[in-house]
Amino acid sequence: MNRNSLVFARSLLATNVKAALALRGALATQVALMALNNLTFFVFWWALMARVPVIRGWRLGDVQLLFGLVAAAFGLTVALAGGVRQLGRFIEDGDLDTLLTQPRSVLVYALGMRSHPPGIGDVVSGAFLIATSGYLSLRSAPLLIVAIGASAVMFLATGVLFFSVAFWLGRVESIARQMWELLITFSLYPEPLFGGVLRLALFTILPAGFVGYLPAAVVRTPSLPHVCLLVGGAAAYLALAVAVFNRGLRRYASGSRFSTFG
Amino acid sequence: MTPAVAKYVAFARVAAAQVRHERSDLAGRVLFFAVILGVFSSLWRAAVDAGLPVGADSKQLLWYLAITEWITLSTPQIHLDIQDTIRRGDVIYRLGRPASFVLAELAAGLGLLAVRLPVLGLAAVGCAAWFTGWVPPLTALAIVVPIGIAAAVMLTALHVWIGLLAFWLQDVSPVYWVCQKLLFVLGGMMLPLQLYPELVQRLAALTPCPVLLAAPASFVLGSPAMAPRTLIVRLALWSGAIALGMRWTFRRAAADLMINGG
Repeated sequence: MNRNSLVFARSLLATNVKAALALRGALATQVALMALNNLTFFVFWWALMARVPVIRGWRLGDVQLLFGLVAAAFGLTVALAGGVRQLGRFIEDGDLDTLLTQPRSVLVYALGMRSHPPGIGDVVSGAFLIATSGYLSLRSAPLLIVAIGASAVMFLATGVLFFSVAFWLGRVESIARQMWELLITFSLYPEPLFGGVLRLALFTILPAGFVGYLPAAVVRTPSLPHVCLLVGGAAAYLALAVAVFNRGLRRYASGSRFSTFG
Repeated sequence: MTPAVAKYVAFARVAAAQVRHERSDLAGRVLFFAVILGVFSSLWRAAVDAGLPVGADSKQLLWYLAITEWITLSTPQIHLDIQDTIRRGDVIYRLGRPASFVLAELAAGLGLLAVRLPVLGLAAVGCAAWFTGWVPPLTALAIVVPIGIAAAVMLTALHVWIGLLAFWLQDVSPVYWVCQKLLFVLGGMMLPLQLYPELVQRLAALTPCPVLLAAPASFVLGSPAMAPRTLIVRLALWSGAIALGMRWTFRRAAADLMINGG
């Protein structure tokens, strides 16, 4: 991504923030409800671990850290690059037509042209869970930032990869969305629950390992190899996603759409 | 069949035919169901190994989850369709038809349910049996199936009622989310209610939530939350309350409805 694309992404973000702030009451309600939504889901873990304090080496604080990291990363992804959730539909319906004529990166434009404000609620609840997990300290703060950032990049990259399949297979939005949701589902549960072939799949095809387990490991047991693996994995997935999207864009068939844009 | 009933059966059949064509959505639900049961199969084994003090083993807990998820995943989000109909103003054209708007929407919801319940029911039984290598006594299943169907019908009616609130609220999603979260905790969607604190159990008893999920599913735990007859009576009472609520809401809305333009 060149410097122009970064400046452009920042401008898109500023526009989305302005649009969201135009309806402050609605924004506040959505954010509060989303945060409440996540915390209600976590009631399950509070109730369970009040009875069983340790499950395969994971305590409540560890699960809180995992859940908080995933929620914050997901919220960051959909709040900043909400277009990823609609990428499949953009491709299927020929909605990329209007973006192709713009002198900017089609992918950056498609990702940044939508924002999902309730994602801020995910970030808020994620931050709350991390703050109360016992893992927040001055020393761990940089690791937490790296972990959330890398996890958000993984969410974005896998979203682009899954939805880009529409370039080749057409109407796959429903399946791609469900795959993305499965990624979230798997990443919210402690890694030791999964073994064998499933564990391999969770670090490759459905990389929940890079979304949840490895970021949590970076904070729980900090080590340089863990950090390198996490950052390298996120960068590799992002590069793959951009390459697949650009390859697919060459096959893109116009929706013969006529519309004004600006 | 009287003509009065036949027209609503026709609404249900049209909806059922539509959902049969949306195979990818149904396949996605089955896949999601299988994944959730797979994850929880590992989680319950680990929790019971760690000494989860509940009068049930990991197999029974997984079957409990299979039943609660069967009911919730089968129930259509009909409130979104009703909301769209109201927001677009199409409801005006529907009011002039010789069929009740509310009953037609409920019939459409039941049509969707008629397709999803058997498909997801088979998925529930297949996955739960495969993951646990055990099947609950047939006498328990013989009670769970009809009561589960009745609970799913009542939940569909509840969604219709939520959809009708779109006459006043532009977006009924927040109401739906709150309802879903109440079901999650007070309905004992993932954890049997006896694992929650006493206060939660008392609160739950004041709502229809346990009747919808925890009570029907508790028959596979070997220690039912209430006798079948008591459960049927409570289901009937809460269904009656929902029916009255729907009727009152729609009459209020229709009386206040303003028609602008043509």
